[in-house]
Amino acid sequence: MNTSSNHDPVDVLIIGAGASGAAIAWNLTETRMRILCLEQGDWMTPSKYPTNSQNWEAQQFGAYHIDPNVRGLETDYPINNQDSPIDVLNFNGVGGSTIVYAAHFPRLHPSDFKVKTLDGVADDWPISYDDLDPYFLQNDRIMGVSGLAGDPMYPPKDLPLPPLPIGMVGEVVAKGFDRLGWHWWPSDAAILSQPYEGRDKCLNLNPCSSGCAQGAKSSTDITYWPQAIRSGVELRTRCRVREVTVNEHGMADGVIYYDADGHECFQKAEVVIMACNGVGTPRILLNSKSPQFPDGLANRSGLVGKNLMFHPVGVVRGIFEERLDTHKGPQGSCILSKEFYETDPDRDFVRGYNMQVARGAAGPLATAFQGFRTGDIPWGPGHHEKFHQRFDHTVNVLALCEDLPEECNRVTLDPDLVDSDGIPAPKITYRLSENSRKMLAHGLARGEEVMRAAGAKEIQKVDLLRSAGWHLLGTARMGNDPTRSVVNSWGRSHDVKNLFIVDGSIFVTGGGVNPTSTIQALALYIGDKIKENLANLFDD
Amino acid sequence: MDNQEKLPPEAFDDVPRRHLSALLDTIVPASEDGTMLSAQEMDFPSYLLSQAADFLADLKRILVHFDDDFPDLPLAERVALVQTFAESDAQMFNALVFRVYDCYYQDDRVRTLIGARPGPPFPGGHVIIPGDLSSLETVKTRGKGYRR
Ligand SMILES: Cc1cc2nc3c(=O)[nH]c(=O)nc-3n(C[C@H](O)[C@H](O)[C@H](O)COP(=O)(O)OP(=O)(O)OC[C@H]3O[C@@H](n4cnc5c(N)ncnc54)[C@H](O)[C@@H]3O)c2cc1C
Ligand code: SF4
Repeated sequence: MNTSSNHDPVDVLIIGAGASGAAIAWNLTETRMRILCLEQGDWMTPSKYPTNSQNWEAQQFGAYHIDPNVRGLETDYPINNQDSPIDVLNFNGVGGSTIVYAAHFPRLHPSDFKVKTLDGVADDWPISYDDLDPYFLQNDRIMGVSGLAGDPMYPPKDLPLPPLPIGMVGEVVAKGFDRLGWHWWPSDAAILSQPYEGRDKCLNLNPCSSGCAQGAKSSTDITYWPQAIRSGVELRTRCRVREVTVNEHGMADGVIYYDADGHECFQKAEVVIMACNGVGTPRILLNSKSPQFPDGLANRSGLVGKNLMFHPVGVVRGIFEERLDTHKGPQGSCILSKEFYETDPDRDFVRGYNMQVARGAAGPLATAFQGFRTGDIPWGPGHHEKFHQRFDHTVNVLALCEDLPEECNRVTLDPDLVDSDGIPAPKITYRLSENSRKMLAHGLARGEEVMRAAGAKEIQKVDLLRSAGWHLLGTARMGNDPTRSVVNSWGRSHDVKNLFIVDGSIFVTGGGVNPTSTIQALALYIGDKIKENLANLFDD
Repeated sequence: MDNQEKLPPEAFDDVPRRHLSALLDTIVPASEDGTMLSAQEMDFPSYLLSQAADFLADLKRILVHFDDDFPDLPLAERVALVQTFAESDAQMFNALVFRVYDCYYQDDRVRTLIGARPGPPFPGGHVIIPGDLSSLETVKTRGKGYRR
């Protein structure tokens, strides 16, 4: 196939228009450089989101499924999860996975950046919480984040909007935490509790993970992107990058991608920034082989794709006598507990987890069909009685655990599976560590305790949630040592001095909270470092 | 499962209606006290033609498993026959139950009866209580809980 090159060269080429790609595109606009973002998916149309239709729930099982292998849109790529007890979830389009995320928006904790120093495991990050502190706030302001200041589990922080209502669900489980004397706090959320920057507040529709028709959930297609585009960034959709190319000096000189018609195109660039997430980025780097980089681009350390971290999740489901309106309100976390977040030497594991109280997908179809699959709600006679006991009466506590990096957990290229353009699909090889196993068991036991304390009359547990590959981290880690990391402390590849990575791949450790706030703060931080170093960006 | 091809009403002509109705009533019968409707009261043909056209062929295949007298049997006997079918083809039965529940719980009469708002969630939305945050004062007194 011929490669066409009919586009002007650009200064900065960003691959991926999700959480991190949007943040860095916006950040770099003030440089007045020519910035282009290539995104394999489409712009979303909020008026087509499922909550506009009577059959909104069924759509969550199909075209709006959170698993790309089930969704199977043209804009998706397949993922081989067969060697993993956790499936990778994502969304591919402008906004990336923020289109379907639950928008729970905690920051990593200060200790998460220093696990080696504090707990003797894994590695410290080359940067600290304090380095990111101003960027957390900047990001919260642009995204629109609601929350309550004063949580003693964090250094002082401001939030642009007051907290979302915690609803009956939050109130009832909070009483359980109170009875046990455990920490709890209303969750920070990238969801508007009040009108903000021309967007309206949350309507408590519930299914945030199939796109927010109200525009209250802060996905980057409605936050960063409009501002970045107004400032001159070009965003080209339906462009799927196959590989980053290098010149004779071993510098990145552009990318080969397929456009909407499947034509192979070349785009020349001075700087390339990867923002395809913790699975998409190693996939493209590993697929970018050349004589200078026979094992994939920026991979002299051999670490591209390795150290994949998820957040393993155990679920405790409590069924309550009273009706708790669980099908109303954002489906993500309404309150959380950090009681078991920090390492405690009396436990049989290091590091910790957070407990999130979530409504989940709590509509009638999801309740009935999930109940059918688990055998809790029969079809036939008896259906209505059991349905009534569960619908609007079921609350989930998730133990979301920190996962430590291990090289055996990795993303590689599948030898057979390819996407619709023939690009090799990612293959996930992952096993749960002993530490994570013990942490999960602890979290499930504590989840049960709090549900009982809150008054649940029946309790069910999911030991390890398979559909929990929401957070994709660590596969191109940061560090100062080029033999032990892929990028330096400001996201620049050790091997290719004009190649940057800004997504969750660069996390050194995963912390025990949802990562997007930190991913975006990091992207903004890297953007500022690029600007500071512009005069000698490619120097050693 | 959305944006499905829509079929004309004739596509349903060769579906045995009495069998279908009995099957729906077996999977979701009316509640004993009569408050909850049976799935046979739903307009399943319209639902299928407009929202789940790709299931029509499977539905016809499923209905073939049930004899002529199926619609006239008492509920308990129909349940036993459907259970036998469910065990013989779990995947197909899963798909059937999904479709029946999808149609049933979309119905505004049903939604009202279970305490959910009729119609799509947007733009009406819901109101939820702010919740009691007063005990956070006690949480705060625990002091700094993070490490540096
Ligand atoms: C169901 C679900 C719920 C979640 N809930 C939360 C939550 O409550 N809180 C939280 O913090 N996080 C949550 N997450 C995770 C969150 O969405 C991600 O952390 C975040 O979006 C990652 O940002 P990113 O920029 O790394 O990648 P993404 O946002 O995934 O964006 C990557 C983009 O790159 C594009 N791309 C990939 N490969 C190519 C290619 N070859 N060519 C061109 N484009 C390409 C993709 O199409 C995509 O648009 C959730 C995720 C899911 C799936
Ligand atoms: S609950 Fe709020 S944030 Fe979630 S989809 Fe509805 S309006 Fe949007």
